[in-house]
Amino acid sequence: MNALEYLDLLLKALLLAGVYAAMAVGMTVVYGVMKIVNLAHAGFLMLGAYFALEMFQRFHIDPILGAVMALPVFFLFGMAVHWLLVRWLPKSDTPTLASLLLMFGFWLVLQNMGYLFWGNEDQSILTPLTLSSVHLGDVISVPKVNLVVFAAAVFCMIVLQVLFHRSWFGRSMRALIQNPYAAQIVGVDDQRTSRLTFGLGTAFAGFAGALLGMLYSFSPDFGRPFLLRSFVIIVLGGLDSISGVALGAVVLAVLETFSTSIPFPWYHHGWNFFYLPPSYQPVVPFALLVLVLVILPKGLSSLFTRKWKAA
Amino acid sequence: MGRRLPWGGKMKTNSNRIDKYFHRSTLLALLLLGMAAFSFASSPAWAADDTITIGVVLPTTGSESKPGQYQKEGIELAIKQINDAGGIMVKSKGKKLKINEIFYDDGTDSKKSASLAERAMSSDNAVAVLGGYSTALGTAESVMADRYKTPWITTGAGATAIFGKGYQYAFGTLSPVALIGSTSAEFLGAMVDQGKLKKGLKVAMVVENTDHGTDYVNGFNEWNGKHSGYFQVVMNEKFELGATDFSSVLQKVKSSHADIFLSDAHLPDYITMHRQYLQNGLHHQMISYGARGPEAAARQALGAGTDYIFAGIWWSGKLPYPQAKKFAADYKAFTGHDVDSWYAAPAYDAMRILAKAIEAAGSLEKTAIRDALKKAELTDSVLPGQKLKFAANGQAEYPFVITQNKPDNKVDIVYPKDAATGEAVAPIPNR
Repeated sequence: MNALEYLDLLLKALLLAGVYAAMAVGMTVVYGVMKIVNLAHAGFLMLGAYFALEMFQRFHIDPILGAVMALPVFFLFGMAVHWLLVRWLPKSDTPTLASLLLMFGFWLVLQNMGYLFWGNEDQSILTPLTLSSVHLGDVISVPKVNLVVFAAAVFCMIVLQVLFHRSWFGRSMRALIQNPYAAQIVGVDDQRTSRLTFGLGTAFAGFAGALLGMLYSFSPDFGRPFLLRSFVIIVLGGLDSISGVALGAVVLAVLETFSTSIPFPWYHHGWNFFYLPPSYQPVVPFALLVLVLVILPKGLSSLFTRKWKAA
Repeated sequence: MGRRLPWGGKMKTNSNRIDKYFHRSTLLALLLLGMAAFSFASSPAWAADDTITIGVVLPTTGSESKPGQYQKEGIELAIKQINDAGGIMVKSKGKKLKINEIFYDDGTDSKKSASLAERAMSSDNAVAVLGGYSTALGTAESVMADRYKTPWITTGAGATAIFGKGYQYAFGTLSPVALIGSTSAEFLGAMVDQGKLKKGLKVAMVVENTDHGTDYVNGFNEWNGKHSGYFQVVMNEKFELGATDFSSVLQKVKSSHADIFLSDAHLPDYITMHRQYLQNGLHHQMISYGARGPEAAARQALGAGTDYIFAGIWWSGKLPYPQAKKFAADYKAFTGHDVDSWYAAPAYDAMRILAKAIEAAGSLEKTAIRDALKKAELTDSVLPGQKLKFAANGQAEYPFVITQNKPDNKVDIVYPKDAATGEAVAPIPNR
């Protein structure tokens, strides 16, 4: 492959990072504040995709607008789920078995409701944007849908970052992330903040699901392959950091994309080059997860923090 | 003082609590007894012996739910037709017995698939089990057949690996996947012979990392090895089933400067990969995704982007046999939708050949049914060639048909010539 082809791959890896960041951000917010590994996140992604499909098929609403409309709808849905189920979970500083089981069970319920309402057909959203790309010369092509998803992911990050640092709700969330007991002593209403946080996480999941529905075909089982990647990204990012999600998404996407395209040198009767077969690509997120948990349990961002402290 | 409960009430203590526990445990015991009695009465093993219990294990949820659903419908159509005609004549019982189907959804999970096949063969005491879509799930189920000495017919696993292990109770109604590869090569070779394609074209192959993908490549290479000079394979890569991003492998396809792009993929991967193929602005003289191509879900997802893709498939509604046309009409009347892909037909014939074998065995003894299956021949099969029988290894072997998608959602059989409903377009026009 030549330099232009590698540049094309790099662009695609960055766009893929946008997809990954969009799907992981909601899970990170929920984990950060409530220490819940939200396995139902995949179910919310699936519902988001179907929401965009219904808006598109019934009311001819563009899926991008459908994704924006999903934000308030899923925010309210998330708050309702919190009020009905999540608030009864025992409080803990670490993820509990009860929360894992509850969210896993709820994911199965959502999946089966999906089968009940929409059947097991593979669905897709086909718009004029779906198959069109921006071509730069003969080699570089950038799919327009991926550009939209990337822009939406960046928008999500900025909104969350502003919300985190400029609002009372954001400060409450940060306080709960840093020290839930101290936060309650100084007057942070943990139940209300948790409810709003869960709503926010669900809203971003619905939003991401609607966007992913433009990129992939989906059925009620949709979301499963994204769950592990979301988890890897939030572990890479440091479990409770929004900027960490962006960093984790970029690292994962770049490594996944280039792992099968870059020759690895090895010595056997002289220097040889070895390409990782594409079928081994799923090894990358698993290997990263193990490596980060062992070497950098606080995520990649801890590297920068350490340097800062050393300086 | 009682403990305050989250919903505002208080937990009662001491004697009240003991009474309540006593009541609860009594109720629980009664409930369990009731459930046990119900399951005892409804258990197939204890059901009246005037039915034939057939287990069906297929995915109707999960990533393979769509093909699984089609196959379930094919089996159930055959069961309905057999039962409507009075059932299967079983000599040892001296009467016709109706089929009692026990269906299990494996959720596209191979471990679950194996355990459900085991359950159907052991606890449910089914005389035979049908199912196993796709190759991965079929492989998982296949080990149970000989363990429980129960005939098992896979309706959706065509990889040769399953049938090369010497199993005595495993059968399959899908012709070997390697034949898709060799028939695809044969079809492309015919295009070269007709002067539509040039000799010596470069081929890039990207197949799923399963026995299915391996067999496809082996089939293509076998034909290509025997016909030197036709094609030159310049790329042969595998991808993980259910992948979400194919950009790096497609970039390699681009760099290989191949003339023909051949893949072997399941439906969701076909849709995702071809979407990214089109977004990357790729174009080849011929494109195939193995046995996938004409599915309605793909055409809905990608529109005209799927035009001219060719596929090697086990069945087509366009086959010019009266029984194939009748099957398509009956299927539509039974399910309310058209038979838009090949999945239902091998499942339909699997149930019909099993019924024939049970009748020939003259009893519900599993080994007798297995022996009858080895000799059975369905002479009015809806599948290509119109005859279905099992080879010595248990796998059916019949020819494939090559279809090609045409504009406006049309599909033609383009190979072999005697079954063709339209001319093959080669090379395909640039979009």
